[in-house]
Amino acid sequence: MEGKSIFTRNRSVPIFIGLLALFTLGVTILSEGYGTGALSVSFTKVLGMTLCLCLAALAMDLVWGYCGILSLGHFAFFGLGGYMIGMWLMTARTEAVVRANLAGNVIPPTEAEVSTATALQIFSVVGAEDWPWMWAVSDSLVLSLLLVVLIPGLLALVFGWLAFRSRVTGVYLSILTQAMTLALSLYLFQNDTGLRGNNGLSGLQNIPGAEGIGQDRISIWFFWASALALGIAYIGAAWVVSGKFGNIVRAIRDDEQRVRFLGYRVEGYKLFVFTLTAVICGIAGALYYPQAGIINPDEIAPIASIYLAVWVAIGGRGRLYGAVIGAAVVSLLSTYFTGGRAPDIDLGIYTIEWVDWWPVLLGLGFVLVTLFAPKGLGGLVDLIVRKDKA
Amino acid sequence: MIRILRACLAGLILSLSVMPAAFAQEEEGADLQALLQSRADLVADASRRTVGEVLELLVESGLAEVPQFLATWQARELYQRDSDGLFVYVEDPDADPLTLLDISTGEVIGTAGSREVSQLRPNRGVQGVIAGALVQFQLSSEDPAERLQALAAIEDDPDESHLPLLREMLEEESDPAVRSAIETLLPGLIIAFADSDADRVAAIESLAGNVSLDARATLNPLLTTRREVADALPQELNIMQVLDPGSAELSVDEAYQMLVDDGLAPAIVSRADQRAILAENVVDGRVGGVPVAELGDYEARDRAYGALVDAGLAQPAPTEAEIEAALDAHVFFDAYREPSSAVTDAARATLDGIETRVGLFRLLDLSLDGLSLASIYFLAAIGLAITFGVMGVINMAHGEFIMIGAYTGYVVQTIVPDYTLSIMLAIPLAFAVTFGAGVAMERLVIRWLYHRPLETLLATFGISIALQQIVRQIFGTQARPLTPPDWLAGSVAINDVVSISSIRIAIFLLGAIFFVALWLILNRTRLGLEVRAVTQNPAMASSMGINPDRINMLTFGLGSGIAGIAGVAIGLFAQVVPDLGSNYIVQSFMTVVVGGVGNIFGTLFGALMIGSLQKVIEWLNPSNTLAAQTYMILFVILFIQFRPRGIIALKGRAAGD
Repeated sequence: MEGKSIFTRNRSVPIFIGLLALFTLGVTILSEGYGTGALSVSFTKVLGMTLCLCLAALAMDLVWGYCGILSLGHFAFFGLGGYMIGMWLMTARTEAVVRANLAGNVIPPTEAEVSTATALQIFSVVGAEDWPWMWAVSDSLVLSLLLVVLIPGLLALVFGWLAFRSRVTGVYLSILTQAMTLALSLYLFQNDTGLRGNNGLSGLQNIPGAEGIGQDRISIWFFWASALALGIAYIGAAWVVSGKFGNIVRAIRDDEQRVRFLGYRVEGYKLFVFTLTAVICGIAGALYYPQAGIINPDEIAPIASIYLAVWVAIGGRGRLYGAVIGAAVVSLLSTYFTGGRAPDIDLGIYTIEWVDWWPVLLGLGFVLVTLFAPKGLGGLVDLIVRKDKA
Repeated sequence: MIRILRACLAGLILSLSVMPAAFAQEEEGADLQALLQSRADLVADASRRTVGEVLELLVESGLAEVPQFLATWQARELYQRDSDGLFVYVEDPDADPLTLLDISTGEVIGTAGSREVSQLRPNRGVQGVIAGALVQFQLSSEDPAERLQALAAIEDDPDESHLPLLREMLEEESDPAVRSAIETLLPGLIIAFADSDADRVAAIESLAGNVSLDARATLNPLLTTRREVADALPQELNIMQVLDPGSAELSVDEAYQMLVDDGLAPAIVSRADQRAILAENVVDGRVGGVPVAELGDYEARDRAYGALVDAGLAQPAPTEAEIEAALDAHVFFDAYREPSSAVTDAARATLDGIETRVGLFRLLDLSLDGLSLASIYFLAAIGLAITFGVMGVINMAHGEFIMIGAYTGYVVQTIVPDYTLSIMLAIPLAFAVTFGAGVAMERLVIRWLYHRPLETLLATFGISIALQQIVRQIFGTQARPLTPPDWLAGSVAINDVVSISSIRIAIFLLGAIFFVALWLILNRTRLGLEVRAVTQNPAMASSMGINPDRINMLTFGLGSGIAGIAGVAIGLFAQVVPDLGSNYIVQSFMTVVVGGVGNIFGTLFGALMIGSLQKVIEWLNPSNTLAAQTYMILFVILFIQFRPRGIIALKGRAAGD
């Protein structure tokens, strides 16, 4: 095994990267911005956002499927990443608008006046007019990008250190992570905490410095960025879970005590995986919300993180492509059925409206997958591969 | 105010009108009409100065119809017939012709066109005097109820003239209820209107320890202040405190603004003012010699403004040193509006004493609040304490069982209209419905997953969203009412500070009953013994002849059924909506985890801790319940670090690891 590249060690990596590249190429050719225009801008965005969700699911699979930590709070990191980049997008965009407005004045505005007017524009909706402390670096793209990585990472580091140190495991850890995301969303829901309360951050689809460029192109750029991030993360994750490190992580999942008795510092490994996946989720969020255009505290309500776990469960835990399949299939199907595009079924006495019945179907689907297909959709891949060998 | 007075009068008049007319008119010549005709000019054209004479006559006459007359007169509903000057009431002022009524007997005495009579419209001053006479008339009534009504009218609209009246009345009053009403009323009147400061101070001190809102409302106005500035501290004013500019009470900017407002110092030129002045003085693209394009900078703007000042085009702005000198030259202070320092000192001391007592009562109120929130959390979590705490099943659909319980209550109420009966029916029915749902869920899903607890979480989450959506399909998204019966609708008030709604007391009692019942079931019955045996060691239990399948099913059903009853209770004060349960699920899990699993005592302590803690945080930061929840959850997260197994941790084999 030594010295072999990750591409040859894990057969799913070249296949996945190949399929992802083909998919990206296909979407680009069919897009409005660079191709035939068969795919609408909004659908391109949906596809780009789906890739971001796949990225978050990949992280979830690492932490749950490989390390056995069922975190019900990883969407908090996803949301935090979105908020971090959202602050920069909103500041830069609003500042440009404010400058344009003030340009009509006889006396040119000072920097302080621009800053005050921008703050007023952003925060008047929550009755404030000053910059909150957490927006201190929102005028710098580089520092904001740094925060996208640092803030979710730090939160995960502190939270994980506290939790793993006191040996909170299993169900207790799940509930604790759920409490964390609930606390964060409640905190953000307050109007006076500086992130515009339940209004959230909006207008994130307007990219500063790209005012003249239409959403048709911007959507494709973000699609490319999301695909690139997913590809890199997939290779990285495959590398992490292979080799000795991956073996120990899997061993922790299967029997934490035994690994500890073998002399490994279990807490360190868990903390590393927990923090790494939080950072991946943060990056995924930072790519997702400029495509969604708006972020508010509802996004990180506990239910979002549970869905993340459910995608991974449906896709199949402990295999990286399983997470991606699960997230893509469930979120795209949800978009399809709740978007009102699915044809209603008329049974004569009762019309099944998919918008209403989809959640029921989805819920029962979870139950059935959990009961009868613990390997998830990824299990289907096993069947195909085994047939080949046989 | 007048309307209230009239409402009081209406009752009075009713009671008076049943008196036999003959009794009211026993003296010859004491006819109301005759009396009025003797001062007809004063009635028809009343002024504040002259109306007193008429009123005195009327009060002295003691005629029964005087109150009604005064009320009608005051309300501008008295008419005078132009032809003979007769004073009349009219039946309906909008009718034409008007039906005229006799002012003594109320009998119809004829009709008249609206031109043939004149409506008497006493002005506001006269109306006030008439109202005073009315109160006086009522205070001397024979009936204690009427005297109380008059006192209530005084309380609504106190007047200087009432003070001697009440003082006089207190000495003669024999009815205890009226007496105590006067005693309550009098201090306020003395404080407001008495001349002697000693009397007022005594009245203030008599309120010591009185936590009612009235007492505080009487004292607080005495301590109102106004903020002033002067060259030197005026001796004649009752000074509360001298303020130092730059202190917490008075910032430098505010202080200087006071000087500007009083014309004692030149105004500061703010950046916005400066910009406006600069914009007015643009000449050939330059302001004071500075090119406009350079003015996006404060230093350049100051230079340009300086040039304008030199050219006499703008007012010089005061410098820092000038501002400081102006502040130093003046003294800023808060002065009481009340001139007597003895009175304000007494009021301050009394109010401080009251505030201390109020603080203590608030603490009591806070503990009651905490206790009632704890009971709600306990109710929501107690079912979970069994399914999760004892059996170790993570049931994410627990919240939906609560919701189903609430909807069961709603459905029962739509069928059985009597609220008391419907609640009595709803409780066992909710138990039955959710017991059934729990047993079905255990049989169909959970029993296959006992060895995979994390997957139970996902499966039950699926059930939870499916149940929520199905209920949404049936009942819609809007909130359904679950109305408590009347005997639960009120609240028990100990005083103006401490009160608790009956429904919260009921929930507290329900929680207590649940706790005792469950403790008995788990520790004193065969079922409880078997439950504990199965949860500790299923294999051993089954070899002792216990059927673990049956026990698991029953235990899960019991926990779910209790959630259903909790749902009925929660539905009584919360809105019954399809996502009712999801609001409680995370808190419920935290309650059980904080308390320690496997033990209903743990859940009790967990609920008490979380409930009271949340109330304490809310009390520290009352404007923000969201913040309270946030900090409470943070506390729970930290708490788990130090006691990962909760407040009451099971030890040894029972811990089950």
